[in-house]
Amino acid sequence: MNPLPEILERLKAIFFRRRVERELDEELQYHVDRETEARERSGSADPRRDALMSLGGVEKWKDDVRDARGVLPLEECVADTRYALRALRRNAGFTLSVMAVLGIGIGAATAVFTVVNRVLLSSLPYPESDRLVAINQKSSSGSWTLSVVDLQAIAAQQRTLEAFGGMRWGSASVNGSGSAERVTIGRVTSGFFRALGIHAAQGRLLEAGDDAPGAPPAVVITSAFAERTFGGAAESVGRAVAIDGLSHLVVGVLDPGRHELAGVPAEVWPVLHLATPKRRGPFGYRAVARLRKGVTIEAAARDLDGISRRIFPLWAAGFQDASARLTPVPLRDTIVGRANRQVGLFAGAVALVLLLAIANVATLVVVRISAREQELSVRAALGAGRRRLVQLILIECLTLTALSGAAGLALAALALKGVRLVAPDLPRLSELALDPAAAAFVAAAALVAGLLISLAPVSSVLRHGRARTSTLASSSARVGSGPRTHRIRGALVVAEFALALPLLIGAGLLLNSFLRLQSVDPGFDPRGLYAVEISLPPARYPDPPATLAFWRRVEQRAVATNGLTAAGLSGSMAPDNFGDVNNFDLLDKPVPAGTTQPASPWPSVTTGYFAAMGIPRLEGRSFTDADSGDAPPVVVVSRSWAARYYPHQSPVGKRLVSGGCTTCPPTTVVGVVGDVRYRGLAGEADAVYSPIAQGGDTSGYLVVRSRLGAAATLQALRSIVASLDPNIAPVEVVMTDRLRQALGDPRRWTAVVGAFAAAGALLAALGIFGLMSYVVRQRRRELGVRIALGAQPGSLIGLVVGGGMRYAVLGTAIGLGISVFESRWLGSSLYGVRAGDPATVAGAVAALMAIAAIACWVPGFRAGRIRPADVLRAE
Amino acid sequence: MSDDRKDLLQGTLELLVLKALSLEPMHGWGMAQRIDQLSKGVFRVQQGSLYPALQRMLRKGWIRSDWRVSENNRRARYYSLSRGGRAELANRAALWKRASEAVDGILQVRTVGNEA
Repeated sequence: MNPLPEILERLKAIFFRRRVERELDEELQYHVDRETEARERSGSADPRRDALMSLGGVEKWKDDVRDARGVLPLEECVADTRYALRALRRNAGFTLSVMAVLGIGIGAATAVFTVVNRVLLSSLPYPESDRLVAINQKSSSGSWTLSVVDLQAIAAQQRTLEAFGGMRWGSASVNGSGSAERVTIGRVTSGFFRALGIHAAQGRLLEAGDDAPGAPPAVVITSAFAERTFGGAAESVGRAVAIDGLSHLVVGVLDPGRHELAGVPAEVWPVLHLATPKRRGPFGYRAVARLRKGVTIEAAARDLDGISRRIFPLWAAGFQDASARLTPVPLRDTIVGRANRQVGLFAGAVALVLLLAIANVATLVVVRISAREQELSVRAALGAGRRRLVQLILIECLTLTALSGAAGLALAALALKGVRLVAPDLPRLSELALDPAAAAFVAAAALVAGLLISLAPVSSVLRHGRARTSTLASSSARVGSGPRTHRIRGALVVAEFALALPLLIGAGLLLNSFLRLQSVDPGFDPRGLYAVEISLPPARYPDPPATLAFWRRVEQRAVATNGLTAAGLSGSMAPDNFGDVNNFDLLDKPVPAGTTQPASPWPSVTTGYFAAMGIPRLEGRSFTDADSGDAPPVVVVSRSWAARYYPHQSPVGKRLVSGGCTTCPPTTVVGVVGDVRYRGLAGEADAVYSPIAQGGDTSGYLVVRSRLGAAATLQALRSIVASLDPNIAPVEVVMTDRLRQALGDPRRWTAVVGAFAAAGALLAALGIFGLMSYVVRQRRRELGVRIALGAQPGSLIGLVVGGGMRYAVLGTAIGLGISVFESRWLGSSLYGVRAGDPATVAGAVAALMAIAAIACWVPGFRAGRIRPADVLRAE
Repeated sequence: MSDDRKDLLQGTLELLVLKALSLEPMHGWGMAQRIDQLSKGVFRVQQGSLYPALQRMLRKGWIRSDWRVSENNRRARYYSLSRGGRAELANRAALWKRASEAVDGILQVRTVGNEA
């Protein structure tokens, strides 16, 4: 049978209910009129009455017709929803508090879900992105990037990749329309775009000819950069952009949505010309490849493994880690891998808050439904079956949570904006937006919440069933009464405390960890310390003598500037920019052949750098002008380095091979200086300094200690750089800011989890406050009698607080059990404190108990002030 | 009225309505009159059950309804047979014929035992 007419009739009946009813009336009217006329003709005494009788009762008749229409269940649902909405509007206070509590819970959970879904679960925004891999070096000692040797060998020898490209990420002075600005750039070979499989929005992307030796330099730019610099994508193609002083032709513009490629945010993508390598290193190139159709990642790994084995002997003089292998890794893993843990922490915390919100709302609903015991009894007495009552409660609960879900969706949109502030370095952040999946999540959360909060009232209806009519008799039935309601509320309060404790412990651990991190000695005084980061365009500073000349001049000018008390140069910047990391082998304790050598941050510095930073010389000497490029290589090491490699003896005079260069003359340690951290505040403080004349860096920091303010100092530094080379765009660094930024992530994480914990504790407090207030109201008479008989207010407060604390203690004990699991998530996010840290756990328990006690004390205090006369009068 | 009889009547009523509407579209009251007249007063349509039956048949897609001007110049709801309804009528008529022939056959069997 064709189901369409039936569906149409049903829909018509639902959506045009009034019209259908009107038509029913009209049809009835017509029938009755005609029948009346007919009976009149046949001589009836009361033709109209007879006509009506022939139908067998008008209302019954109408009901039969409606029944035959067969839309009752749906129509009932619509009517029930209307009724629920009216009831919720009448109780605006109740409705709004539920919407606020649950809305915040759902909103926060939706925001986190969107982050998880977008950042971690969904596929990358490239065609057939499951075929994309990144290629790393992997050995027993870890994982690192590729070198020119590797890139060229892969390009020449691979048999499993459809496309393959190299990329070097950095920043450069870029000048497109008159003024230089510092932007992040990604130098790429043409295969990079082919591997990703993307197309230009305007113009073209880099093609095979562009990275050939001698080809004119070409560049692809993002839409945002095109807009800012040339006023639009179309206007940009064919224009010239100077990158570190070298003119590049803009050949194409990326789609507006592309702010990052392969997880690397950069605005300018110039061609990467690979020079002929002289040794295996240096590393620092990333590689992206697209596997051929049907090729597994294992097959690609075997292919690359063969390449690693073939090239190793060719460059063994400068690189001795024979276990290193070129290894393909799914691109997705390299982009989202690190974010996993952070987001997992977030998700756990928000799930607890959502559950707490649901438990809290469930309490409110239990109270409200039991307050309507009478109404339900009347309905039962009028013939509503259990199914009908359950449906009524379910629809009301679901309507309530649907409203909360709508509020939550709006809050989630706001919260997503907040996520950008809280976690600015999450990968793929630019893709974040509310999407259909988020809407589906809200719907699911609202549905589950609706079912959960209706559990208690529904089960109570199913229990009472027919016996309900009896409660109708005792029409003075008290609001929210009954031992069963009380038990449910008690259980919910216990659950709330069990959920709140893990949140508090988590927040406490993060706070503890943050405070320890904050008190780490960075090794320098950031006040009055400033720097500019300078990178020299290779076009105009092609060799070490040219760069060294610039570094010398810029340091001299800084030293000669009034108000600057010390100035120096360094290739790395504390506390978290370790610049070059170099491997080394101690001559008196070499590592076994073929194994990985130790490595340390290896900044090239001038003696002035130690002075400006305030790093003390502890032993030996510092650098002098005699430590030139031709002189025997020397280094100064940090105290931590000395303690690690030469415990209980002086490293001065020890010799080492640096960078694996066995044919170079060995390097001598000539001094020891104080610790400064380059591997982050939570990292080691090992460092090896080489004199700038022996380094040959093309980028570095000019560091000064200044008596001038921040603005004046930075202005002075800018004009020093501009006076030497106006094409360089220096990046300004205020060390106090930099140190604060280094704590940015831990601070933000602590703040977020702290906010969740505060919300959780507040919800638990509200729960127990509500319960104890109700207990006091219910026992008002008994309490009044006690006071009349001479009980002290203090003892009544004790009675109420003691009663409430039973729930809090039980819940907290369960919460302790839950928080054992927490340590797995949290452990690696902590610094200097273990996940199960007893002091923190004890602190969290104490805090929760204090909150519970205060929340119980308020109703207790009210109990103490009950006036017996009032109670008796009310009776 | 027992349930069995109601079902029986209901099935018959639907057949009669289908037949009546196969002649021409008509409104509910007219239909009751027409069935009365066609059956020479043998079937008296229960007016209380006619309209629910019409609703059921609308749902099943056998008939359609629209508002027209009646023979006495008033707006009335007219029902007419749909293609599905025509097929259903043929179906049911055949079924009815077979059933009534079978019942006739049974009734004509002589009660031999009584004569012996």
